[in-house]
Amino acid sequence: MSELPLHAAALLVLWGALVGLDLVSVPQAMLSRPLVAGTVAGWLAGDVEAGLRVGVLLELFALDVLPIGAVRYPDYGPATVAAAALAAGAPWELGLGLSVTLGLLLAVLGGWTLQLVRRSNARAIQHHSAALAAGESRAIRWLQYGALLRDGSRAAGLTLLGLALAWGVTRYVHLDRRTAVGLTLVVIGAGISAAAGGAARSAGRGARLKWLLAGVAAGILLVVLR
Amino acid sequence: MTGGWRALLRLFAVQGTWNYERMLGVGMGYAAEPLLEDLKTVDPVRHSEAVVRSTDFFNCNPYLAGLALGATVRAEYEAVPGDQIARLRRALCSPLGALGDELFWAGLLPALVGAALVAAVLGAGWWAIVGLLLAYNALRLGTAVWALRTGYDAGMRVGAAIGRSWIPGAIERIGPVAGFVMGLTVPVTAGWYLEGFGWAGAVGALAVAAVGAAVTRWFGPALTTVRFALLAIGLLLFFRWVGL
Repeated sequence: MSELPLHAAALLVLWGALVGLDLVSVPQAMLSRPLVAGTVAGWLAGDVEAGLRVGVLLELFALDVLPIGAVRYPDYGPATVAAAALAAGAPWELGLGLSVTLGLLLAVLGGWTLQLVRRSNARAIQHHSAALAAGESRAIRWLQYGALLRDGSRAAGLTLLGLALAWGVTRYVHLDRRTAVGLTLVVIGAGISAAAGGAARSAGRGARLKWLLAGVAAGILLVVLR
Repeated sequence: MTGGWRALLRLFAVQGTWNYERMLGVGMGYAAEPLLEDLKTVDPVRHSEAVVRSTDFFNCNPYLAGLALGATVRAEYEAVPGDQIARLRRALCSPLGALGDELFWAGLLPALVGAALVAAVLGAGWWAIVGLLLAYNALRLGTAVWALRTGYDAGMRVGAAIGRSWIPGAIERIGPVAGFVMGLTVPVTAGWYLEGFGWAGAVGALAVAAVGAAVTRWFGPALTTVRFALLAIGLLLFFRWVGL
């Protein structure tokens, strides 16, 4: 992580809050996708390439998530912002492993904080149940704005914690080259496994599986020809 | 439809108060508020009842929530009995959830994100990201406008309108596209990362991927891919710590 000026750190927290809100609350415009969140965070931290590398890899993990019904899942947005900030300024072969490790831990923590916000929303609704039963529009608006504020604060706090951890890792964790490269290869392998597993599950056994296999063949051909 | 644009904007925050009890319920009430304003002057008692109904339990894919919103608001203006409107809301949860999840989460999203990943690693850079955001949000906005208008026009007959709509056909078409693009994405992104590590590094990473795919399939939800990744990272750090 290169030295972050205060205004860059503030912009990263703001961006983290925005992408955290985007995941569920508003506007679900795909800003929270790691590819988007990471590349923009890399740009804000002064290293677009590092942000893109982190974003693409965490995106492979995120593609394994199907946010159906009340399913619980990690929150990759603020996690990717912090991970991209950690990766900025370092050679990606050495920094990617540690950055993505931080990103995965924060994503799990983010998923857990989402449950807290949802329970907190339920408590707020119970607290205003009389007003809701009376059909008071003002109570609906306040519940909505309160919930958005809770989620935005959650995401900003998660990003701030992530940036603090990134700073701590830069300062106190020094991996030798072999371990750093090994860590990078492990997270790349795990990311490939996540995306492949997610794609295979979505494909099932029908016609989509044939198209998936055709895509794999085309992809391998593309890699070989390049 | 008075308040249509405000309701449309509010639908973007329909999951704002998501919780395990009413799920999208309060968010639906928030989006319904501008649409129900005219009812306040025509029939204040009915308006209050409609507002209460609008915040009851509801869940579906957020992008198709406009269909249920438009249909129930239309039914409120047509003075359909309240218990019928409540039944309609409940009946719409599963089909709108299944259709929306299949179309967006299992179809459009992996197709467009996969295409953006491939474009990004092939050198498109920012264009890949801008293209993803523009394409996805144009489709999403178009769907939201269509859903609210179709729901409002159809009212209690919204089920038939959904059955006749473009959605079932789009799901059939997007599935194979998503499958192909995801298949393309995995080797292309893997190649992008591994080209600088030589054969030994590439074989090592692919071995981790193969083990990950096998054990996460074997253990199912107990061992998610993120848990597998953290486990593999922990093992690597342990082995390096003991000097292996």
